[in-house]
Amino acid sequence: MEAIENTNRRKTRSGSGLTRRINRWGYFFVLPTIVILLVFRFLPMLSAAYLSITKYDLFTAPKLIGLGNYVALFQDQVFLQSVRVSAIYVVGSVVPVWIVSLLLAMLTVKAVRFGNAFRTVIFIPVVLAPVVVAVLWRFLYFEAGMVNTMLGYVGIPSVPWLTTPTTAMISIILIGIWRAAPYFMVIFTAGLQAIPIEYYEAGRIDGTNPWTEFWHITLPILKPIILLVVVISVITALKVFAVPQLMTDGGPAGATEVVPLHIYKTGFEFFKMGQASAMSILLFVVMMIFSIAQVRILSEPNR
Amino acid sequence: MTTARLYFGRRARASLPQLLIYLLLIVAALWAIIPVVWMILSSFKTMNTIFRVPLQWIPKPFYWKSYPEAWAQRNFAHYFLNSAIIAVTITVGNLFVCAMAGYGLAKYRFRGRNFLFLAVLSTLMLPLEVTMVPLFLVVKVLHWQNTFAGIIVPFLADPFGVFLMRQYILDLPDDLIEAARIDGMHEFGIFSKIVLPLVKPALTALAIFIFREAWNLYIWPLIIITSESLRPLTVGIALFMSNYGTDWNQLLAIATIAMLPMVVIFLMLQRYFVRGIVLSGMKG
Repeated sequence: MEAIENTNRRKTRSGSGLTRRINRWGYFFVLPTIVILLVFRFLPMLSAAYLSITKYDLFTAPKLIGLGNYVALFQDQVFLQSVRVSAIYVVGSVVPVWIVSLLLAMLTVKAVRFGNAFRTVIFIPVVLAPVVVAVLWRFLYFEAGMVNTMLGYVGIPSVPWLTTPTTAMISIILIGIWRAAPYFMVIFTAGLQAIPIEYYEAGRIDGTNPWTEFWHITLPILKPIILLVVVISVITALKVFAVPQLMTDGGPAGATEVVPLHIYKTGFEFFKMGQASAMSILLFVVMMIFSIAQVRILSEPNR
Repeated sequence: MTTARLYFGRRARASLPQLLIYLLLIVAALWAIIPVVWMILSSFKTMNTIFRVPLQWIPKPFYWKSYPEAWAQRNFAHYFLNSAIIAVTITVGNLFVCAMAGYGLAKYRFRGRNFLFLAVLSTLMLPLEVTMVPLFLVVKVLHWQNTFAGIIVPFLADPFGVFLMRQYILDLPDDLIEAARIDGMHEFGIFSKIVLPLVKPALTALAIFIFREAWNLYIWPLIIITSESLRPLTVGIALFMSNYGTDWNQLLAIATIAMLPMVVIFLMLQRYFVRGIVLSGMKG
């Protein structure tokens, strides 16, 4: 990639007026993207920054109130609760996702045959719309549903999956793992399949077993991919909205009201646009920290 | 990719007992697929048998009428059509917009190019979950509430799509483009007649990636669409589900219908599906 950039640069520097005129076409090709992103991503974010320092109910003009919204947020028990809920969801779902997805990837590449077929089947949950996922799991978690019936077989009394705070959170986390693990399995698989055999042959000479091979060869080589999976999975978990909204609508008693869902309700059910904007900005800052890591990994030249 | 000999994936030797591997894989496959299979099978049960203990896998009696019954409950045919319009438009639009930007960023040297590329990538930090409130206000100012434009246009330039196309087009030889230029081909012609056909695999991967997101779109239409005539299937199902008296078998039937297009596309084109995801994680 660097080689390409270098030759291009040389060309421009020695370039004639014609080359420069041709290169101007670059703007033309980029224009639609830039306009759309400007209007529908940057502009909203700027207006959110502005609205976050106003009081705005959508019907009367925004009124400047300084940092009032932010101060209020840090005293708002409901908001702080949603931050806690999001934190629990992220930590609770993301760590199992890493382990399960790497394990699944290892298993499918180690299987002598049918690795691809297994990957195909395991991947299916990723394809489903959140709405379908919600219908499906509400059916399974229903008091008379399959999960409780199966528990009954082994003598466990039925669990009120979606109606007590703790079990509702566990239910949502389990769905999160079910949807995310196959996705990252695919990324890990590609990483594993790209490792040259020489590393392992070298290891053989040093007398490795599968266990040390995994810890001392596979994991270190996978490090950049693991990093990427960590970042993307955290961002994905921070963004979760549709499944909790459709499964429990944040309940019971706010136990599954993650931050994006709380923003949605504040904005579109209570029409507190200023407050909702302030929350959006805070969520953005948290996501930005992780996204910067992602962009840096993606734009690393020697990958 | 080089012809390096690889360790995994090629006739892997049994370094762990294969039996254990398959046992775990079967458990994983069941974990992934049983909920879906159970939903489909249950959609063919009657309300009398749907929660039967012990679990009954094969529906008896086989009751398929939940499908027409559910279909008739709401304007689902109309919602389905809306979803198709939205998903197809967003997909086709993205193919053009992202391929154009990817080409521009990969093959032209102009002032601010790197800055623009970084700006595009940085919008990955601005997902809908962050921008929904202010984006709603912007679209409201445009008077695009309750219009297809309001649902579609904000999603016509996917930053990841631009990244993917740029990455792919970077690998095309410059000589090819130069040769066409010397032949007197117009710059846009070079893009549409030379570049686009060469990046078909990337376009397919992108199309599937975007179509999945667009078909499954939920929060945004929920926010921006209040009129029933533009409602997509996802929102229609959500409302159907929140309706208290809804029968489970009908709900499952509708969910199965909504799921079908994606599952079929996935099974037919999984190679590309996987490629899109892999490219999101690494350089192609």
